[in-house]
Amino acid sequence: MNKPWIRQRSEITGQTAAPKLERELVDFQWKLGMAVSSDSCRSLKYPYVSVLLKVADPSGQVKNKSFEMTIPQFQNFYRQFKEIAAVIETV
Amino acid sequence: MAGELEGSKPLSGLLSGLAQETFHGHQGITEELLRSQLYPEVSLEEFRPFLAKMRGILKSIASADMDFNQLEAFLTAQTKKQGGITCDQAAVISKFWKSHKTKIRESLMNQSRWDSGLRGLSWRVDGKSQSRHSAHIHTPVAIMELEIGKSGQESEFLCLEFDEVKVNQLLKELSEVEESISTLMQPA
Repeated sequence: MNKPWIRQRSEITGQTAAPKLERELVDFQWKLGMAVSSDSCRSLKYPYVSVLLKVADPSGQVKNKSFEMTIPQFQNFYRQFKEIAAVIETV
Repeated sequence: MAGELEGSKPLSGLLSGLAQETFHGHQGITEELLRSQLYPEVSLEEFRPFLAKMRGILKSIASADMDFNQLEAFLTAQTKKQGGITCDQAAVISKFWKSHKTKIRESLMNQSRWDSGLRGLSWRVDGKSQSRHSAHIHTPVAIMELEIGKSGQESEFLCLEFDEVKVNQLLKELSEVEESISTLMQPA
């Protein structure tokens, strides 16, 4: 009788045990690069945006997170952010 | 049989298989699989150098990111070479590159990116809230979730919070990036 409850309970607590940590962006650094050539492709020639985020979790600990975007990905990111700005203004 | 290898019908399939293995990271496409599926009448000893030749040609074209003029010149030279390719085969290779070029290039770009890539982005804006008991008004907040991950690895989800001031600050930085891109993309 207890077993299904125990199994379910651990599923539920498993979900609530690790809430998504909302972090604050402390710093935003960026670099626009051009990949020219590589061992697998002599003629790469593609531009990319490299981003370094410094994020602080609620305890104050700051971590670095970096990632790359292609130009179309960056433009989508920028477009979405403009939308956020437009929405937050009206709220 | 040399005649079997000169046929152009199975070549398209062969190039697809080669692209899957060489560029798109598909495991398990062996020499033997390609031979038995596409050139069953040909012995492995004869097939092997033929496969190597086609792989070499495809790699050269992809590595140089050939445009159509370069491609025509390159393939014509291959048809004139001793032990090169036939005109029919050149036509098949040309057609293949034209239709698969973008996808192959994308795979090559991904292969040379070693930092995390941006896999997904979602956001919401939480509105103003007020409490009867508290004078403090919660100002609107934007919450953005970024999904980032390295090639072949699981995603990491980054959840960021921005107030209006921060949103505008970041927007300014992003517009600087955009400006840089425009400068870079301007014809010389």
